[in-house]
Amino acid sequence: MIASKPKTPKPSPAAPATPIKVALVEDKPKVRESWIRLINSFPDFSCVCACVSGEEALRAIPAAAPDVILMDIFLPRMSGIECTVRLKEALPQTQIVILTAMDDQELVFMALEAGADGYLLKRTKPSDLRAALLDVLRGGAPMTSQIARRVIESFRRKAKTRDQTVHLSVREEQILVLLSQGYANKLIADKLELSIDTVCSHLKHVFDKLHVSSRTEAVVRYMASKTPQP
Amino acid sequence: MRTAIFHVDPGGRGFWHSRLRSRAAIWLGLGAAVLLLGFPNRLAAQTLEVGSDEPEPISNSTNGLGSWIWAAQTFDRQTCRFWRAFDLPATNAVKQARLRMTVDNEYVLFLDGREIGNGSEWREIYVFDLTPLLFPGHHVLAIKAVNSTSAAGMILGLQVELADGQMIEVKSDLNWRIAPEEAKRWEKRATAPENWVAPIVVGAVGVLPRWTLPQNVNRMPTLMPLEIRFWQTGWFQITLLVLLSLLSLFSIRLLAQLAFHRRERLLLERERSRIAADIHDDLGSRVTQLVLHGEVAQNDLAANSLTREQLERICEEARQVLSSMDGVLWAVNPERDTLRDFTAFVCCYAEEFLKSTPIQCRLEVEPEMSTAALDLPLRRNLLMAIKETLNNAVKHSAATEVLLKIHWQGQKLTVVVQDNGRGFNPENATPGRNGLTNMERRMKELGGSCRLSSQPGQGCRVEFAVPLNATRRFSLSWLWRTGHFTDPPPPPKPAPESAPPSHDRL
Repeated sequence: MIASKPKTPKPSPAAPATPIKVALVEDKPKVRESWIRLINSFPDFSCVCACVSGEEALRAIPAAAPDVILMDIFLPRMSGIECTVRLKEALPQTQIVILTAMDDQELVFMALEAGADGYLLKRTKPSDLRAALLDVLRGGAPMTSQIARRVIESFRRKAKTRDQTVHLSVREEQILVLLSQGYANKLIADKLELSIDTVCSHLKHVFDKLHVSSRTEAVVRYMASKTPQP
Repeated sequence: MRTAIFHVDPGGRGFWHSRLRSRAAIWLGLGAAVLLLGFPNRLAAQTLEVGSDEPEPISNSTNGLGSWIWAAQTFDRQTCRFWRAFDLPATNAVKQARLRMTVDNEYVLFLDGREIGNGSEWREIYVFDLTPLLFPGHHVLAIKAVNSTSAAGMILGLQVELADGQMIEVKSDLNWRIAPEEAKRWEKRATAPENWVAPIVVGAVGVLPRWTLPQNVNRMPTLMPLEIRFWQTGWFQITLLVLLSLLSLFSIRLLAQLAFHRRERLLLERERSRIAADIHDDLGSRVTQLVLHGEVAQNDLAANSLTREQLERICEEARQVLSSMDGVLWAVNPERDTLRDFTAFVCCYAEEFLKSTPIQCRLEVEPEMSTAALDLPLRRNLLMAIKETLNNAVKHSAATEVLLKIHWQGQKLTVVVQDNGRGFNPENATPGRNGLTNMERRMKELGGSCRLSSQPGQGCRVEFAVPLNATRRFSLSWLWRTGHFTDPPPPPKPAPESAPPSHDRL
């Protein structure tokens, strides 16, 4: 485990009394260092734990009890996806955000299925990064029209085969379909005469259901997709 | 055959070709097998029994018989080849022809070179009804007679009744000829050579030691003239055989090519995977690192310093590079060759592209998209066409909403781009200006179609329909374009009104 730099954040008027604790899992040393500095540069965030591998993350992170974990998707040996599944079992309340270098919807969906609460491109601007982290902590679910479509598809496929225990409510499906048609959360709220918070909480439920139903499946699928690569 | 893997079908177009090929090869092989198996049946002669049932009285059975004849020398296990030609007048039809005969001990009877019957009981008479077989002209009777032990002889009588009542008789007498043992195809000879000798008479009918009356009369089945259809002729059969062998060889060749092609595809796929992994692991992570370092460096500088601004610009540029690389990676990665990935990509693109415009993007996509492979030319051309349409909508339509519909039914993929803008009269549009001809060309290349419908004030609707199994215009061309059916398609012309470079991923 690499300790974060003991750089005490400057007290700023916006910063809360206790900064939000962030844990980081990233195998490349330079990237890891940059991330630690970036996170610590936000007044209200502090990096409490940085791990080089999934195995180390499983040992060290529960003790650090962070509020949010940033997880690189490609890790040596144990993948970020598998690590997410295991950490989510140990720390169900902790938010996990997957980091990817490249924008690949297929990988992102796998990560979400595995239990991730959000995903970020590594190249995201620091200001956007902070906003995205706060959004995840507030319970925002990362939804695009593509992911909404994949979620609908995933649940329909399960309904066809066996898993009747987890299914979407009518309202949830309604919201997902509108999302998949390209409507923004606010427009959906207007259309269905709901508050935007209700729409968000519905989406959060959808994610919880998705995690329950396809966590292990995601790991298997990720492994299968990984093997043919040299 | 190709050696460089990069020339091989980069998108998977050959997949369908190879499917077609394998199917063709299998069917050709099956067809050849069936025809070859059925072959012997076609050689069988056509026989037909039309015998009248009335039995011939035994007392009549000696009517018109000649004498017992045989070769000058008689010995055991002797084969005697009797030959006799006769003519029927050309002016007269045959009313009835009946042949009675027997041989001590066995015989095979030929008429005009064709076997029509045999017998092996010298005490009985065999009666043949030759009416359907005898027609005016030259005929040859041939008998292969075998003597097993002691006395031998052949007796025969042919009575031909003509339409005008005239009777022509051929009997066993000294007019017959005996073909020597070494004679070949003797039963088929139309004339007898000089060296064929005449037989001798060994006894008269009804004179002991031979029978006076036969013990029995055997009515032999009546034979019909052999009708030779064109498919029964030797030439036809040989031609067919040759043709079938050629077809078999061809299908073997196709199968071999198929195997080769599969290997090529596998290699190509591996190579693509490798490139994808390289881009991702090396280029991608390095540029990402660059961005991160840049961001960290910015933090250490004063808020409005010039260097910080320059660093910010470098980071922004690097982000653009990364987003272009996303597209390259998507195109290169063989795992993203499916219809589903294509759909996701197009939707993402449309949303991103329209985000910076006042136009709302609406999507209507079937949630359950196929994971069937989508070949690269199709992907590329379709994406280009969609980009062009979206671009037109942004530039000219003044619409507030654009609907992108992607539907997939059976083997047909339909993409509709519809706007609610001001529309135009398609007849007034200068051809080529709205890029329609370009799109039509693209769709034609894929064996699909492109339909534009618009009216002033009614918006504009462009529909692309393409077959997924990539049946091209010259779908049979692979039959003769042997060896290089995996030709890469010509490089696409860049769309004239292309999207911003960061989105131009293919």
